[in-house]
Amino acid sequence: MRCSIVRRVGPAALLAMLFIAATMRGQDLAGFEKRLTEFTLDNGLKFLILERHEVPIVSFHTYADVGGVDTVTGITGMAHLFEHMAFKGTRTIGTKDYTAEAAAMAKMDELFDAIKKEKRKIGGPDPQKLKELQDQFDQEGQKAQECIVHDEYEEILTQQGAEGFNAYTSEDATQYIVSLPSNKLELWMMLEADRFAYPVLREFYKERDVVMEERRMMENSPMGRLYEEFQAIAFLAHPYGEGVIGHMSDLQTLTRGEAVAFFRKYYCPSNLTIAIVGDVDPAQVRRLADKYFAGLPSGPKPEPVETEEPPQRGERRVTVEDVAQPVVLIGYHQPNVNHPDSTVLQVISEIIGVGRTARLYKSLVKDKRIAVSANSGPMLNKYPALFMFMAVPATGHTTRECEDAIYAEIEKLKTEPVLPAELAKAKTRSRADVIRQLDSNSGLAAQLTFYEVVTGDWHNLFKQLDQIEQVTAADVQRVAAMYFTTKNRTVGAIETTSGEKPTTGAGI
Amino acid sequence: MRTVLTMRMTSVLMCVAFLVGSGMAMERVPDYRELKYPRLRDIQVPEVERVTLANGMQLFLLEDHELPLIYVSAMIRTGSIYEPADKVGLASLTGTVLRTGGTTSRTGDEIDEQLEQIAASVETGIGRSSGSAYMSVLKEDIDTGLPILADVLMNPAFRQDKIDLAKVAARTSIARRNDNPNAIASREYAKLIYGTGSVYARHTEYATLDSIARDDLVAFHRRFYHPNNVMLAVWGDFETKKMVARIEDAFRNWRKAQVDVPPVPEVKYEFRSTVNVVVKEDMSQSCIRLGHLGGMMNDPDYFGLMVMNEILGGSFTSRLFKNVRSRQGLAYSVSGVYGADFDHPGVFYASCQTKSQSTVHATEAIIEEIRRMTQEPVTDEELALAKDGFLNSFVFNFESRGEVVTRLMTYAYYGYPADFLQKTKENVEKVTKADVLRVAKAHLRPDTVQILVVGNPEGFDRPLSTFGDVKTIDVAIPQPAQGQ
Repeated sequence: MRCSIVRRVGPAALLAMLFIAATMRGQDLAGFEKRLTEFTLDNGLKFLILERHEVPIVSFHTYADVGGVDTVTGITGMAHLFEHMAFKGTRTIGTKDYTAEAAAMAKMDELFDAIKKEKRKIGGPDPQKLKELQDQFDQEGQKAQECIVHDEYEEILTQQGAEGFNAYTSEDATQYIVSLPSNKLELWMMLEADRFAYPVLREFYKERDVVMEERRMMENSPMGRLYEEFQAIAFLAHPYGEGVIGHMSDLQTLTRGEAVAFFRKYYCPSNLTIAIVGDVDPAQVRRLADKYFAGLPSGPKPEPVETEEPPQRGERRVTVEDVAQPVVLIGYHQPNVNHPDSTVLQVISEIIGVGRTARLYKSLVKDKRIAVSANSGPMLNKYPALFMFMAVPATGHTTRECEDAIYAEIEKLKTEPVLPAELAKAKTRSRADVIRQLDSNSGLAAQLTFYEVVTGDWHNLFKQLDQIEQVTAADVQRVAAMYFTTKNRTVGAIETTSGEKPTTGAGI
Repeated sequence: MRTVLTMRMTSVLMCVAFLVGSGMAMERVPDYRELKYPRLRDIQVPEVERVTLANGMQLFLLEDHELPLIYVSAMIRTGSIYEPADKVGLASLTGTVLRTGGTTSRTGDEIDEQLEQIAASVETGIGRSSGSAYMSVLKEDIDTGLPILADVLMNPAFRQDKIDLAKVAARTSIARRNDNPNAIASREYAKLIYGTGSVYARHTEYATLDSIARDDLVAFHRRFYHPNNVMLAVWGDFETKKMVARIEDAFRNWRKAQVDVPPVPEVKYEFRSTVNVVVKEDMSQSCIRLGHLGGMMNDPDYFGLMVMNEILGGSFTSRLFKNVRSRQGLAYSVSGVYGADFDHPGVFYASCQTKSQSTVHATEAIIEEIRRMTQEPVTDEELALAKDGFLNSFVFNFESRGEVVTRLMTYAYYGYPADFLQKTKENVEKVTKADVLRVAKAHLRPDTVQILVVGNPEGFDRPLSTFGDVKTIDVAIPQPAQGQ
């Protein structure tokens, strides 16, 4: 959904994106290269265009190389909130009178600062003063509202036949997606350039309320509660420890000024990559890119996060006491997606934790019947993140039993070489999974931008194959022994405190 | 917290931005209204080949040579609507163990190994009003995958160990069914609309699971799984003629049989106003659902209702989204759709998730939007947005060949005309403002809705009794009998 938060953890479908086998490579890489055009504008904005002409439709994918990881304490949640704001229009779209609107918004910003200051006063705020400020803030809000042409940006694309019009924020990236009938190419070029040249962060303070509701949805889901606690203890220094959604207190105090500063720093063309896949003529795309995007002012590519996670000194553990049923997450720190060991970890995951013949499923679900699901997956991230295990205990069984069974399987990986048949199966399945994902415009656009930005070259979508093919049983053993240690481990579990809460009608 | 200095600096930056903007924007940004769109190339609707085999099995085939893959999707005329009330869960268990329990000649575990070695999958299931089977293989493995699919459908062994395993999973989901507030809301809302015991709302309990034995699965399969009761959609990298021969061969030992499938149960609904709450004290947000019974897709008003849905609550540009989310900031998730099903009335519901402190306010705001729909015509702009959006995005119905062929099979399964999609387009084109108001008046009853809130009443802005007498729904899970 608009701004649901995607974490690159776990699910086989996502992991599989990284694999492709050698047999596939010869024919398809050549086929792809023929159909793929790439160019970079002088301002640094990169385009990847893949032609697929069967149906007159086209998918657009704008990948902004900024995510939760870039929003530090104090402005946590900003990357995601900005993503919401990117649908609010521009200086010409969404307004009847931009000058008057801007003046009202600037007053709101001042008043919001004044309200914050008043609230922080030692001894507490003066209620009278606070009310006055709040009333003025509401009045200015009303003035701004009167200038607005509501939802114009969304309506233009919807009316012209948009499908899958949405955006996502993850730890590493903010991605804006839409598909259109292919005769609307120029419309998209015009609107997308406009929203990243002249975005207007209108209805900012209302949209924060929406994001707070989004946060509450996470808090009201047991998995959301668990993952937030787990993440927080897994990282001591690195901002991956902070959720993408942001802390409630930050959401309450973020200002529009901070959002504008954030936009200026992270949305310069050198930090954006656009993939266009479908029924388009690359030469025409180039002409339109020059016409609409070349005017975006260039800026320096933002510095990467320099904070590194220090080595862990011992196992970390958190228990969420909850009314919900138990679940356990186990994470081991692992290198980023570009490290050679990342490929080995992906193969390990196929063998131990993906599918009905994987070792965890066989042991925990089929044989011991202590879990109803047991999976694994490496996080395919820009910075070193975690290799994850997750188990859902069967009724009457505990997270501890599941943990022990998972550790037993991990020990086997360290002490005994995996069978040649297992290794071959993992490679074959990885290859097929990738082939299966080459058949949708939007999926292809997502993969091209991910590989281009995070691994530095879209060709890696195919080159990964060679690395996968080269993984040996000895690699598996070495890598398992290196990363899957007690000291490098974080465990988070939901433990049911009181079973089901009684359901009474109290307080109605 | 940011320092004051930083805040000042950013406000300064912003003022500069505004000055620059107001002078330049008009020249630099062309107006989208002046764009001329080239005519969209005609959609080549691929021709689906329909074949009925001698044993009565109906095939829908469509070649797709882009990637070296072959897919099969099957529909079997059965469903949980046909399971006895004291064995709720039987259809679902049968659908699962059909595949995991193996066949008379190989165990489920052997099938797992065979399939995963070639990166193929064969999956089965039984839903409310149909059974399903699915196969996906690399083209070169069709002669491994297809015989497994056929074997699973024809000769399932329903081995006891896999029945037990499926029961472990079913028991665990019963134990977990109150963990997710949305799941509670959707389950309990269905019971309010269709009735607790209705085939469209009932669900598995420990007791109904315990009463299901292997013989029941065998009998349920035997009752429905015959070739003349099965449709197969097949698409991918093959030659149609050869594929038909392959399928004929794979299912050659499956004989036509007399199948007695009763008509789909009818729904009786009496419009009523009720207010219901499920108390979850751990929640800071309420899940709200309200509405009444919906309709069917063969209702002549269906097309007008589709347009109405877009305007009311079916999209990011709908009234509910705009007013409850964007204007008031009351919710992240809000929607409202008059649901229509192929073979029985769907539900009409509007829903949102909002902080406990705005529960009643948000509920009122939603009801008000429904009421407005029935009282005044939509605007020209709203009508144009909804219709144009539908018609301009029509081409996406042909995005994938799998979608084209399975849609045709689904229409045939439910007895809808093969050109139902085309008819939908033609009818949506004709919908007027008067039609939208007429269907809204005829089908929406804002004053007789059933309201369900899952949340913590202690935090509500006002008591739910604002809307009438409140009934507390007890969702405590009936515990299994001793010795289980």
